[in-house]
Amino acid sequence: MVSRRKFLILAGAATAATILPIQISAVPQSSESSSKADLKRRWAMVVDVAKCTECMEELIRETGNPEIKPPCVLACDKENNVPEFEDKRIDPQWLRIAKFKAKYSSKEFFAPLLCNHCEHPPCEQVCLTKATFQRPDGIVEIDMHRCIGCRYCMIACPYGARSFNFKDPLEGLKEVNPKVPMRCEGVVEKCTFCVHRVDEAVAKGVNPEPACVEACRLFGKGALMFGNIKDPESEVSKVLQEHAYVQLRAELGTGPHVFYINL
Amino acid sequence: MEIEFKKINGDSPGYILTVIVLAIITILGLYAYILDHTIGGLSGLSNRVPWGIVNAGIPYFIGLSAGSLIVSALVGVFNIKKYKVFSRMAAFLAAAWIIAAILSIAIDIGKLYHFANAVKYFNPTSIFSWNAFLYSSYFVICCIYLLAQFEEMERFTRFMAGLAVFWAVLVHSGTGAIYGYIYARELYHSAITPPMFIVCAITSGLGLLIATMYITFKVTKRDLDVNLVRGLAKIFLGLNFILAYFLIDEALEKGYIPGLHDALNFVFFNPSESIFWSFWLLLILGIAIPCLIVVIPKTGHDLRWLSIGGVLHAALVFAERFYLIVPGQVYPAEYLPGYELESLHTLEGYIVSYTPTLIEWAQVIGLFAMVYLIFVIGLKVFAILPEKATEEVVEE
Repeated sequence: MVSRRKFLILAGAATAATILPIQISAVPQSSESSSKADLKRRWAMVVDVAKCTECMEELIRETGNPEIKPPCVLACDKENNVPEFEDKRIDPQWLRIAKFKAKYSSKEFFAPLLCNHCEHPPCEQVCLTKATFQRPDGIVEIDMHRCIGCRYCMIACPYGARSFNFKDPLEGLKEVNPKVPMRCEGVVEKCTFCVHRVDEAVAKGVNPEPACVEACRLFGKGALMFGNIKDPESEVSKVLQEHAYVQLRAELGTGPHVFYINL
Repeated sequence: MEIEFKKINGDSPGYILTVIVLAIITILGLYAYILDHTIGGLSGLSNRVPWGIVNAGIPYFIGLSAGSLIVSALVGVFNIKKYKVFSRMAAFLAAAWIIAAILSIAIDIGKLYHFANAVKYFNPTSIFSWNAFLYSSYFVICCIYLLAQFEEMERFTRFMAGLAVFWAVLVHSGTGAIYGYIYARELYHSAITPPMFIVCAITSGLGLLIATMYITFKVTKRDLDVNLVRGLAKIFLGLNFILAYFLIDEALEKGYIPGLHDALNFVFFNPSESIFWSFWLLLILGIAIPCLIVVIPKTGHDLRWLSIGGVLHAALVFAERFYLIVPGQVYPAEYLPGYELESLHTLEGYIVSYTPTLIEWAQVIGLFAMVYLIFVIGLKVFAILPEKATEEVVEE
């Protein structure tokens, strides 16, 4: 039988063990948010749905493949080391094209789906370890060294933007782009708005262009635009001034930062 | 008459065989986990349904734990002395179940190597993050409560019982909130999930406890008074009505929303999907039949029948967890109101079925066996079983 003294020592140690981690981790919480408001940059993407549809219809007609990957998707896959697995159930995909069909007419259109880099990201809200975090410029990123692979973010994301690495991504890659950190099996990944390109461009003082936007401009119909929504002179700001836009599931209040025009 | 708790001898062939069988099932579960994580892709999970039955094990085991602990603490909190005979056993099981719950988190996550991050980094807006703290502290409280009982520290035991109940409610509400607060999925989003989890925890914990008690007392040749168990069965019955009420209320509320009709048709009226069976079997086999067993005088006063009712209910509560977790993922969300969507490169916009594989079942069953392995060994190591549990013992 446990003696009283031993019992008290045990109880004390156990209580300390449960409270301590919280004490330790209470430190780094509040550092980021204060600088958020006064920052000059907030990245956003605008999709011209009419141009996207034109490109997709043309591609499907030419190839006869209804699941053809357009230049933007191919560029994203290549740039960000997104693996290719035959089984669609477990194949990670950062950028994908969806066909939208109107319920009350025969209208159909194509549009890309990707992480919306929300103003209030539900994924960041639920992330156990703060592996998912939002940068002051709005980009939502995942620190794969912190991610424990619980997939709570995938449940919370309203846009299905996240993929879990059921397998080691290297198994599904032909070549690796060294500029983008390689993920491992057992963690979650998603679109980063090509954050490495953004940072490089900002350092050089030029306008950043994610791989998909570049590919769309060079090989597609120029349906994608990317820029700083806080700068009234940026292309995205001007386009949004002139067009009515739609955000996916905006009613949730997540503040998605991918805008769709010309539906 | 003072209640006397005693260790069992644990040297009969039956005892040794039980330990061996439970150990083998536990090891098979562990082996399934290793296979699942070394080969990859052996589960029925996908990027559309990332949470399956191993995840469902988390709330299920926590529920069993919370339920067991609340029953155990009835003695301390409400001063129902006659249940003191069960309080050690129930508290011990509660501690064992929470180990299973924490382990199911460990085996469900993709990167076990990063598990320490869950305690190292705390995100105050994540309910799961709070729960990492709640689960571990809950385990500690369970242990202290149990130790206080072993040491016969009466006042401290009563204090710990109160704290344990409060903590169990907190822990299980938190678990319910993990699912219920997800606003991105209409079938998840519900304010009554946390209270429903509490009710479900007590019913399932109680159901399994009744059966465990019956079998343990029978095998160790101890007297178990049917009237004592009947008292617990009545609480079980009452709470089952509340559970059914919550489930029906929730289904009707969702059914009131025209936008959800297609999804609900799929959930409730599509027998080709396991979701349909998880709901209806829960209502019929998990709630209606166990309630009838308690109500009908002939079966309601028979320990064997009460145990069957308890096991049936506890088993079907696993289906309840399935019903809460899976449909919200399987049925596709509407990204743009007024438009249907089909992704060309993923399975978004499609119904993506989820059928748990043998590998997943083996992991859940392995954890289940582990709890009973801990329990059976605990009976030998600790004095948790009363000499007998009859009215003459409990009337002080």
